[in-house]
Amino acid sequence: MNQRFKPAETFRRDFTFRNSDEAVLRFPFPFPEDSYMYSVNIEPHTPGGPTAAFQAAFDVDEHYVAECAERAIVLEEDPGRCKVLPHMMAAQWDTLELIMESFARDYPQDFSLTKEGTNWVWENRPLGIKQSFVFGDAKTLPCEPFEYITRQAQGDFTLQDQREDNLFVDGGMVTTQADWSLEFNIGMTFHEWHGPVPLAHQLGVFDRALKFLMRLQYGQPVRRLNWTMTINPRLDTSPENYPLWGTDRTTVTPENVAEKVFLRVELQTLFRLPRSNAILFGIRCYLLSVADIARVEKWGKRLHRVLLDLPTELQDYKGLTRYRQTVVDYLAPLDDGAPLPSGIAPGQTAL
Amino acid sequence: MPVSGIVSRPTYEALAIDPAGRRHLFVADHAFEPDPGVFAALPSEAPVELWRALAEARVGSGAGPRANALARDFRSTTQLLDALAYRLERERVGLRLYAVGLESFVWDVARLARGLGMDSSEYRLSHVGSNRRRVYCVHCRAITENVATNVVACSGCGANLFVRDHFSRRLAAFMGFQIDAEAPGEVPPIEEAFP
Repeated sequence: MNQRFKPAETFRRDFTFRNSDEAVLRFPFPFPEDSYMYSVNIEPHTPGGPTAAFQAAFDVDEHYVAECAERAIVLEEDPGRCKVLPHMMAAQWDTLELIMESFARDYPQDFSLTKEGTNWVWENRPLGIKQSFVFGDAKTLPCEPFEYITRQAQGDFTLQDQREDNLFVDGGMVTTQADWSLEFNIGMTFHEWHGPVPLAHQLGVFDRALKFLMRLQYGQPVRRLNWTMTINPRLDTSPENYPLWGTDRTTVTPENVAEKVFLRVELQTLFRLPRSNAILFGIRCYLLSVADIARVEKWGKRLHRVLLDLPTELQDYKGLTRYRQTVVDYLAPLDDGAPLPSGIAPGQTAL
Repeated sequence: MPVSGIVSRPTYEALAIDPAGRRHLFVADHAFEPDPGVFAALPSEAPVELWRALAEARVGSGAGPRANALARDFRSTTQLLDALAYRLERERVGLRLYAVGLESFVWDVARLARGLGMDSSEYRLSHVGSNRRRVYCVHCRAITENVATNVVACSGCGANLFVRDHFSRRLAAFMGFQIDAEAPGEVPPIEEAFP
């Protein structure tokens, strides 16, 4: 087993997930300024960026093996978390090709892809997989191509079909979500599936974002960051399982807040797919405890300021209402009020 | 957690005939009698049919004679939808379908129509009657019908579901989620919300 992975971590029950110092410093911290409001904060998804999380098309980090195992557990309990409507088969193959080629290019020590015509051989060394298959022939894989490759990737994925001057969420692999349901939303238009988001509709964010995404070009992916907070390092905060994790929100105390509350960041990437003209939406989830955030001076102060004046509607929508003040009180003594440089880079190279 | 003003909620226009259609089929979940003005835009020879689900066992062939030979009455919406599927499988281009009734019914019709190859320009939905909702439990996937209150016990898992203003056209249902998942027993006062 490759030493860079931590295969035994868990995201449920005993929650043994931890971030190494390196993982803390590469975290895609989402607040470039001291206050937060929705915006169309989309930028080109090119290698590079303020932290190491932005280096690859699809980031593979120390939690890779453990996250793939967590996904398998969720799918075992609820196979419906992966669902693709029948007209999206070309987009399924597009996705498989894009992820395999990106992994093999960005992490050649871990993944390789060999092609002879349509006879492909895929090797995933961290998961111990070697698969020969015929590209375009789903019967030569153990499951459909979208499920096959997204079981071997971190983060959730959805497939957007573009038609009728709109985007429809017509497929997805959704096991590490911040409280939205693929089963309920599949087939919806762009504005329908964003229906519950407060304030942003009135700001025109979704109208502009939809127009922008409809023009997304092949080979020119884009990215943005989104965020919420989660109690315990739990990846599966699905509405399906809300009865199981909802009570976590009542367990935060001044004594445990630093270790129990996590900033949950989604590095969202959007790729136009070549054959289907669909859009692949990657929603890669990163978790960092308040204790670890406070180890980065700039991030600890900034999180304090963002939470302090976060609009009530966003507190409610993101489910922070019960424990936001406890987090603010923990961070307050660490914030001297001095001006902070804008941007999300940690501003230090060691902890 | 409850958030209002959700935009996935459909809006409906008043029932109006599409003169581009060559044949017109109205389906309703109640004893619907179209306003004659609705047909003013149609050429008099255009075939118009009216199918109604009456929630009544004593209807069927010969049981409810009507002046209009193209009218059919059904015992339930289930029976009507079943006949509609059979019919649409055999239809040709030119049919216009009009669904009139509760939201759950008209979106059931829409789902059936889409599944059988009609596009959204070929059917029209008109919500009339009560605002009662079909609720989909996001936890157990059971459906609870005819919900008039802000909170309802799930017919499947028994959870106290808050009826969110978030609508899935595919499921023809609103989302329900457990309102007291964070603090068991903390349920807001139950009120009539969808009369």
